Amino acid sequence: MSEVVLTGVVKRYGPVTALDGVDLTVPAGELTAVLGPSGCGKTTLLRCLAGFERLDAGEIRLDGRAVAGGGRHVPTHRRRIAVVPQEGALFPHLSVAANIGYGLDRAARRGDRVDEVLALVGLAGYGDRMPHQLSGGQQQRVAVARALAPRPSLVLLDEPFSALDAGLRAGLRHDIREALRADGATGVLVTHDQGEALSVADRVVVLRAGRVVQAGPPTTIYREPADPWVAGFVGDAVLLPAVAEAGSARTPLGAIPITGASSSGAVTVLLRPEQVRIVPSARPGTVPATVLRHDFHGHDALVGLRLADGTRITARILDDAATAPVGADVAVRVDGTARAWPA
Amino acid sequence: MASTAAVAVAVVPLAYLGVRTAEAGLDRIVAELWTGRVAWLSLRSLGLAAVVTSACVLLGVGSAYLVTRTDLPGRRFFAVLAALPLAVPTYIAAFAWVSAFDGLAGFWPAALVLTLCSYPYVFLPVAAALRGADPAQEEVSRSLGRGGWQTFTRVTLRQIRPATAAGALLVALYVLSDFGAVAILRTDTFTRAIFVAFDLGFDRTGALVLSSVLVLLTLLLLTGETVTRRRGARYARLGGARRAAARLRLGPARWPALAGLLGVAALALGVPAVSLARRLVAGVSRPGALAEVAAAAGNSLVLALAGAALTMLLALPLGLLTARAPGPLTTVLDRLAYLSHALPGVVVGLSLIFFGINVAYPLYQTTWLLALAYATLFLPLAVGSVAGAAAQAPPGLEEVARSLGRGPWGVLRTVTLPLTLPGIGAGAALVFLTGMKELPATLLLRPTGTDTLATELWTNTAVGAYAAATPYAALLVVISALPTWLLVARSGLLDKDDR
Amino acid sequence: MFISLRRSTATLAAAGLLVTGLVACGSEDEAVSEPGTSGDKQITVYSGRNEQLIKPLLEKFTAQTGITVNARYANTAQLAAQLVEEGDKSPADVFLAQDAGALGTVSKRDMFVTLPSTTTDKAPATYRARNGHWVGVSARARVLVYNADAVTEAELPASVFELTGPAWKGKVGVAPTNASFQAFVTAITVQHGEARAKEFLAGLKANDPQVRDGNGKILEDVIAGTVPVGLVNHYYLGEVAKEQGTTVDALKAKLHFFPGGDTGGLVNVAGVGVLKRAADNPDAQAFVDYLLGPEAQTYFAEQTFEYPVVEGVTGPAGVPALADLQVPDIDLNDLDALESTVALIKESGLVP
Repeated sequence: MSEVVLTGVVKRYGPVTALDGVDLTVPAGELTAVLGPSGCGKTTLLRCLAGFERLDAGEIRLDGRAVAGGGRHVPTHRRRIAVVPQEGALFPHLSVAANIGYGLDRAARRGDRVDEVLALVGLAGYGDRMPHQLSGGQQQRVAVARALAPRPSLVLLDEPFSALDAGLRAGLRHDIREALRADGATGVLVTHDQGEALSVADRVVVLRAGRVVQAGPPTTIYREPADPWVAGFVGDAVLLPAVAEAGSARTPLGAIPITGASSSGAVTVLLRPEQVRIVPSARPGTVPATVLRHDFHGHDALVGLRLADGTRITARILDDAATAPVGADVAVRVDGTARAWPA
Repeated sequence: MASTAAVAVAVVPLAYLGVRTAEAGLDRIVAELWTGRVAWLSLRSLGLAAVVTSACVLLGVGSAYLVTRTDLPGRRFFAVLAALPLAVPTYIAAFAWVSAFDGLAGFWPAALVLTLCSYPYVFLPVAAALRGADPAQEEVSRSLGRGGWQTFTRVTLRQIRPATAAGALLVALYVLSDFGAVAILRTDTFTRAIFVAFDLGFDRTGALVLSSVLVLLTLLLLTGETVTRRRGARYARLGGARRAAARLRLGPARWPALAGLLGVAALALGVPAVSLARRLVAGVSRPGALAEVAAAAGNSLVLALAGAALTMLLALPLGLLTARAPGPLTTVLDRLAYLSHALPGVVVGLSLIFFGINVAYPLYQTTWLLALAYATLFLPLAVGSVAGAAAQAPPGLEEVARSLGRGPWGVLRTVTLPLTLPGIGAGAALVFLTGMKELPATLLLRPTGTDTLATELWTNTAVGAYAAATPYAALLVVISALPTWLLVARSGLLDKDDR
Repeated sequence: MFISLRRSTATLAAAGLLVTGLVACGSEDEAVSEPGTSGDKQITVYSGRNEQLIKPLLEKFTAQTGITVNARYANTAQLAAQLVEEGDKSPADVFLAQDAGALGTVSKRDMFVTLPSTTTDKAPATYRARNGHWVGVSARARVLVYNADAVTEAELPASVFELTGPAWKGKVGVAPTNASFQAFVTAITVQHGEARAKEFLAGLKANDPQVRDGNGKILEDVIAGTVPVGLVNHYYLGEVAKEQGTTVDALKAKLHFFPGGDTGGLVNVAGVGVLKRAADNPDAQAFVDYLLGPEAQTYFAEQTFEYPVVEGVTGPAGVPALADLQVPDIDLNDLDALESTVALIKESGLVP
């Protein structure tokens, strides 16, 4: 159980600055997701944590001990930071048990830690198999077990689910979350998939262009994003121009209570599509809209709408196709409050 | 650091040539080199290298495709057969051809014999690459409307391009350095001129000045190859289940294909075999006691093994560096290792005499100095194999290993080496069998009184005792066949189909 | 993608074999022998003469004297280059060479001791170094070998210079890279001047000669009838007869010794010199004396079909005696001017 603290971490590759002063705290025993688009520096951050790269500036402390920065560079193998790479990267020449025992010393390898972590990832009895005899999901589970086995200070997961198909991904994500939690491990998950980050992490750190834009619990990130970019990156967003006044904003959808911007004047407000409700007929507090399109997602659907003034918005509905045929005139209203930023 | 040691070994002959050429003085160098004869010899050597390399690429890629990608009957048998000429030294093959077809001599016969002996250098890596290549790319090509031939030329050939280029480079350099075939078939090349310069008036200086031109020619080839090589071409397929490509149904075309492979085997293996057998029957000379033959075989084995071991030891760091830290410096180091590969054995032998006498006298005329000569000569064979295998193992594995608490040595021992082992094995096998066949450097550097199969063969044929020479030749080929078989097995060509 | 465990195990086993091999050969290494000053009953001989020919003789020497011979066999020219490269650190005590030119090369570097005249005097003055650095131990004559079916005795040339004539176009086998051919060309220069040598080589080249890699190959082709005549050393015929299990007389190929002191009938020697490190080594001296003794001289005549250089020893069977040959009047010491010969041969285009 360790806390990881990064202060002002800078990493450059020639003219490119991959990390531009990253400040970050990973609380002990929690799973923190580092979320960002490709090229934001999240993989570099992971490589710096692991010790594969040297910092150009800043400091990384593990449990209060500086492992990088200020001329120090504790080599990877002395950091006790285990990595789970994208494709699992199991040692092809070693059996599952030998893979898992790789990070253990001789005595521990003969103990029951190997079986313990195998059970933890749901693969009890698979110790004698060779990696090529496993499915992609099983390989990934073994990779996690291998990382957990030596009880590292920190487990780094580098987009470990990206190569798996969607059905498998959700289950595995959950299982691995549970395995980490059961083992009391501290973890950092690097991902570009906001659904993954929000669903499994205790904390989410949003990274853009080598800087931390926002850090906090998933709900905060989703509901109170730091800026419109974060809002759009972590979920579907309806961004509307509005005028704020006394805790409320006048929008094309009517007046909506707001949080965030305290001053009055021109603002941008954020609504999540699930806050937009479609009602069959106009009632007080609703505005008229026309259905433009209907994107079916199975469990729900996104409905594209055009308001009378031409503003386009999106509503998420539990699918009931009959309520909103394309071209139909409907009425919409807004539930809850909106996040607002000065325009 | 360790790579630098390897390269240092490879450049011993260059240093030697530098010293001796400088001694010759500018006037002598100009007189020796500024002649139409040198220009003519250069063109001829390069011409021979070009012809043989092209023919080897055709033959090597063709037979590799047939045994890996078609439903040819008996393809595993043909895979071994196609690699086996590697066990036949060019001097045996050339001698056999001259015996079989009287008056055979000149450029084209030499090209034929050299091609037959060296096309496995292309066949082996290409066959391995064809087996490992991702069939998805070919499938995409076909789905986009490209026919079989177009897919082959536009996708398959490009996938195997690095393997083909590596093999072709080895062939070209080998042709530059070969003496056996060109001497027996009387083709004027640079290497023959160098040997003749030694014999004619015992003209060491002239021979060495000529050799420095050979280094320049090699440099030319290497630069050409490096320039045309696509950068960062790494075709390793990471993850995903291994899937074999669909085999091409040959249909009636399998008869000409079979005839072609059998024909090549007949020329490359049959002619030498029949010719040696005829010599054995015709002569009355017999080799010494069985003990002598056995001793020669034992010495050959030990020397070739020592050479292979030392070469691998030196090649390992360089090969790993090439695979793991590619960059301009690495490229230069890697290319330097190739420079001595095209030098005739006699020049490398003399340079190691120079080295042994002046630097490592305790090693002089011991197994180790000869092993070092083999390392100097055959380093590229080993480096290529190691780098190839290391490039196939994803570097991510080593990072994972480090993150699990293993230090650099631990990672090397538990991950890098085991994964590179097939490459190390292949490199060792290649160096071993090339070392078995080597003659000029062996003659100069062997411990006094040590006879090998190759030297016995030379001794007997020099006095026309062909019948006595035959068992040594046969034994040489048979012993070399074992590592050849290992090489084939290692390329996965003997595996059962995965489907 | 990855190799199976089984295959890596096999490779590991191979690697294990390698190591075993290393250990095995490590124990076999012999240290370079110390310079033998006092008779330690061991000498190191660099032999440019073939092992098959000379080894039995060395064994006889050892049996008789108890002196062990560590023999190193290689091509004469390359051994000369090796000796020069080794300089005074050479482990060699004695250099046994195929021809006088190679001995001259080493002698020029001042690496030989001067042999006592009691030793050198056993050979005629023409067959030993004027400075006493080396001495010939056996003699070989240049001959024209001919296929008796293709050429009648009457058609044989009286002089080697006739071979450039139209009658011999495309019919003459030569081995211009061979040391004995060079000595022959040098002899032309010595006897008739450089212009004549140049003219001869040009004439030969223009006459479409059958160039072969060595004397042995010429002889083989003459016997086979594909080449009517060839310029070789006389003893090759004996070697062929031995390999075919027959006698010299039974072969299709016959030897023609050029008469009247023609340059074509040059007689060269194989000889021996003692390296300076063995200056005080009685064993090395004993070896040289043995080679000039009756046993070795007889061996050369009977086993290698060469002419003995010491008087009173019977010559090889099937060829005329050395004394009966009309040998050109050439001192082998004068054949030193090799460089110009080499240039001549290179210019002629007969060699690469």
